[in-house]
Amino acid sequence: MRSPRRAGLVGVALTAAVALAACSTPTTNGSQPGKASHGTSLTVDLAGYPASLDPGLQYDTDSYSVYRNIFDQLLHRDPRTNKIVPWLATAWKQSNPTTWVFTLRDGVKFSDGTPLTAADAAYSIQRILDPKFASQQNANFSAIASATGSGRTLTIKTKYPSPTLLTYLTTLSIVPMADVKKEGNARFNAHPVGSGPYTFASSIPGSQIVLRRNDSWWGNKPQIKTVTFRAVPAVASRVADLKSGKADLAHALTPDAAGQLKGANNLKVLSAPTERVSYLAFNTIHGGPTDDRTVRKAISLAIDYKSLIDNLERGYGKRVNSVLTPLSEGYPKGLPDYTYDPAQAKKLIRQAGASGRTIVMATSPTYDPQIVQSIQASIKAIGLKVSISNSDQATYLKKVQSPSHNWGSIRFGQWSCACLDADGVAYPLFRSGTIWSSYRNPRFDALVDKARQTLTPATRTGLYAQAYQILSKELPGIGLFQMYSIYGASSRLQWTPDAQQSFFVADMKLGS
Amino acid sequence: VKRGSTVAVGSYLASRLGQALIALLGVTTMVFFALRLSGDPAQLIAPQGASQADIATLRHQLGLDLPVWHQYTDYLSDLVHGNLGYSYVQHEPALDLITQRIPYTVNLALTALVLSVVLGVGAGMIMALNRGRWPERVLMPLVLAGQAMPAFWTGILLILVFSVTFKILPSTGYGGFSSLILPAVTLASLSAATIARITRGAVLEQLARDYVRTARSKGAGTTRLVVRHLARNVSIPILTVVAMEIAHLLGGSVVTELIFAWPGLGQLTVQSVDARDFPLIQAIVLLAAAVYIVVNLLTDIAYAVIDPRISSTGREAGR
Repeated sequence: MRSPRRAGLVGVALTAAVALAACSTPTTNGSQPGKASHGTSLTVDLAGYPASLDPGLQYDTDSYSVYRNIFDQLLHRDPRTNKIVPWLATAWKQSNPTTWVFTLRDGVKFSDGTPLTAADAAYSIQRILDPKFASQQNANFSAIASATGSGRTLTIKTKYPSPTLLTYLTTLSIVPMADVKKEGNARFNAHPVGSGPYTFASSIPGSQIVLRRNDSWWGNKPQIKTVTFRAVPAVASRVADLKSGKADLAHALTPDAAGQLKGANNLKVLSAPTERVSYLAFNTIHGGPTDDRTVRKAISLAIDYKSLIDNLERGYGKRVNSVLTPLSEGYPKGLPDYTYDPAQAKKLIRQAGASGRTIVMATSPTYDPQIVQSIQASIKAIGLKVSISNSDQATYLKKVQSPSHNWGSIRFGQWSCACLDADGVAYPLFRSGTIWSSYRNPRFDALVDKARQTLTPATRTGLYAQAYQILSKELPGIGLFQMYSIYGASSRLQWTPDAQQSFFVADMKLGS
Repeated sequence: VKRGSTVAVGSYLASRLGQALIALLGVTTMVFFALRLSGDPAQLIAPQGASQADIATLRHQLGLDLPVWHQYTDYLSDLVHGNLGYSYVQHEPALDLITQRIPYTVNLALTALVLSVVLGVGAGMIMALNRGRWPERVLMPLVLAGQAMPAFWTGILLILVFSVTFKILPSTGYGGFSSLILPAVTLASLSAATIARITRGAVLEQLARDYVRTARSKGAGTTRLVVRHLARNVSIPILTVVAMEIAHLLGGSVVTELIFAWPGLGQLTVQSVDARDFPLIQAIVLLAAAVYIVVNLLTDIAYAVIDPRISSTGREAGR
C-alpha cells in the first residue's frame, strides 16, 4: 500500500535538483575579480551587455564603451576642445576634394604581434561597407567610394566632397585583417584582437567582460591594470553596486539616481553635457492643427523650459535654441532663444482658430514618460486637447517613419548623431524625404544639401546659419534641452567624462 | 509487469509525442506570424541617421523583404535541419546564445524551486495542522506578504539590507554560491507562498476525511499521520502547482534577472523582444514551449506513479 519506493522517488527528485543546481554552476574562462576592486583594477557597471565586441558591427554606448579600449581609432577628438587630433593617423591631407591621404603611426602592433598597416585600416572600412557584413554603421561611412592602403599610407576616396568624413573616422576602430580573415567574423566577435591599450581577457556572455592592460601598447602606460565591465540593467541595482562597493563606476544614471548618491560617503557623481538633445518634432504635413505654423509657435511658447531642466532633469541639462548644441561643427550663432509665455500662446491658439482641437502625441516607453506628461500638461494649458498615443518602440518607428506621415501631430525624442556636426541634425531630422522628417521646404532642402558637400568650414557655417534660421522661424521642431551624461563613481576615481561619451579607461586613474 | 500494460504505455507515449510536436508547430507558427506584424527589425537596428535606402538594404540582408510565406517555409526547413537562425543584433547563432544562458537560469530556477517547495510545503502543513492557533496566525501574514510583494520590490529590499547595509552578500551579478542567495530567495518567496496556500488547503481537506479520523482513533501521532497517511493524498494538488512553477521558473524570470543582473534566459528574452531579434525570439519561444511540454508530461507520469487510480487507460486500480 504505502510504499517506501515512492517516498524514495520524491527524495531522489529533490536530491537530483540540488545536485543539478550545484553542478550546473558555469565556470568562467579566465580570472574573475569578485568584490570591489582595489589598486589598479576597475569595475564598471554598464546598462546592458555589449551587443558586439567587433567594432565593425554595432555602434551603441554599451558596445563601444568596451571595444574602443581594445582597439585604436584612426583619429581622436581632444576631450576638452572636441577638435579632431591625430591617433593612429599622424597626418592627413587632401589631394583633391574627394581624395584624402592619411599617414599612419609607425611601429604599431596588434596584441597578437602582427604589425598594424594601412592595409588593416582600409580593410576595417571595406568590411563595414560590405553589404554582406550587414554592419549597423554602414550609413555613417556611406560617403566613402573606396579605401586602399599600402605601407603606412591610407587613401580614401569619397563619392562627393564630404565635410564629415574625418568626424566619422574618429569612430573607426582598426581591426587586424589577417586575424579576422583567419578566424572569421563570428570568432573574432567572441575573441577580439586589437592594437589598443587593453586586451580582451575573458567574458561571461550576458554578464561580464574582463579586459587586461596591453603592456606593449604604443601610448602612455595606463594606470589601471584590469577592467571588469558588468551588465546591470536596473538603475537601482547599479546604485546599489556603487553603495555596496561592488562597482567603482556606473554608467547611465538617471537624475533621480544621481540624487541618491549625493549623501553617500566615498561616492561622487560625474557628468558632462553631450551633443544629445531632447526635442519635440511636429508633423507639418498630416499633423492636423500642427500643420499651421502659428499653432507650432504657440506650443513653443507653452513650454516652461527652465522648469523641465530644474525639476525633471534636476539641473542635468542646459537650454538650447535649436535641436543642435554649441559643441557641434557648423553651429549657427545668434539664433533667438525659445521663450515661455503661456498668455501669448493662448492668444495665438485663438487667432489660429485652433481652440479645443486635438493634438495627437506619439511616443514609446523608450522616452521619459515624465517629460511627455509635462509637455502634455503645458499644451493643454493653452487651450488645446492632447491625446497621447503610446506604442512600443518597434511599432512607434514603423508609424513615425512611414512615408504616409500619418503618425499624429507631435512627438518627443532624444537626438544625437554621434558626429558633433550640424549636418547630423538638420539633414536626418528635417530634410524632406528622410525617415524622421515630416517637414517640407525646398529652400531648406537646398541649403542642407549644399552644406553636405561643402568643404570650406566658413561657407558651411554660413549655409547652416541660413538653414537653422528657417527652422527657427518655421518650427518643424523645438529643442527642449541639451542632455548630460551622468555617471556614478567611487571618489577614488580620477576621470573627466567628455561630450562624446568616449569611455577611454586609459584616461582614468584610481587613487588609493 | 504484464505485456499489455507495456503496450499501453508505449502507445500512450507515442500519442503524447505526437501531441507535443503539434503543439510545438502551432506555437512556432503563431509566434512567427505575430512577430512579423509587430514591427520592422531593420528600422530598430539601423543607426538614427540612416536613409530609407539604408534601411531597405538592411531589410534585404536580413531576408525580411521576401514574402512572409517564403520566409516561413525557409524557417521551417532550417528548423528541420536543426538550424535555429542567427541573431540580427548579436551576430551569433541563436542556439549558442541560448545555451550560454541556460546554466544560469537552471541554476537559479532549481535553487528557488527547492527553497520554495521546502518552505511552502512546510509552512502549509504547519498552518493546516495548527489551524486557528498561533503558528497559523504568525505564518499566514507572511504567506500573504510573500504573495503580494512583487519581485522588483522584494529584490531591491533584500539588496538594500544584505548588500548595501550589512555588506554580507553581493548585490548583483553571477559569482558563485553567495551571489545565488538573494535572487533565489526573491524568486522563491512568491512560489513558496503559492505552494503554502495550496498545501494548507489540501491538508485541511484531507483532515476532514474518515481515514484520518480512523488513524487518529487508532492512536497515530502527528508525524505518523503526516508521513504515513496524508503525504500521498495531498501530493497531487501540490505536484500540480509545483509543476507549473517549474515550467515558469525554467522559462527565465525576467524581473528577478534584471534586478540582480543575472545572465539568464529572462534577460535575453527581454533584449530580443525589444530589438525584434526574430530568430532569437523564435528560438527562445520554441525552447520555452518544449520545457512546458516536457514538464507536463513528467507531471502526468508522476501522477500515475503516485496515484494508480489516475492512469492513461482509465482503468480503476483495485485496491
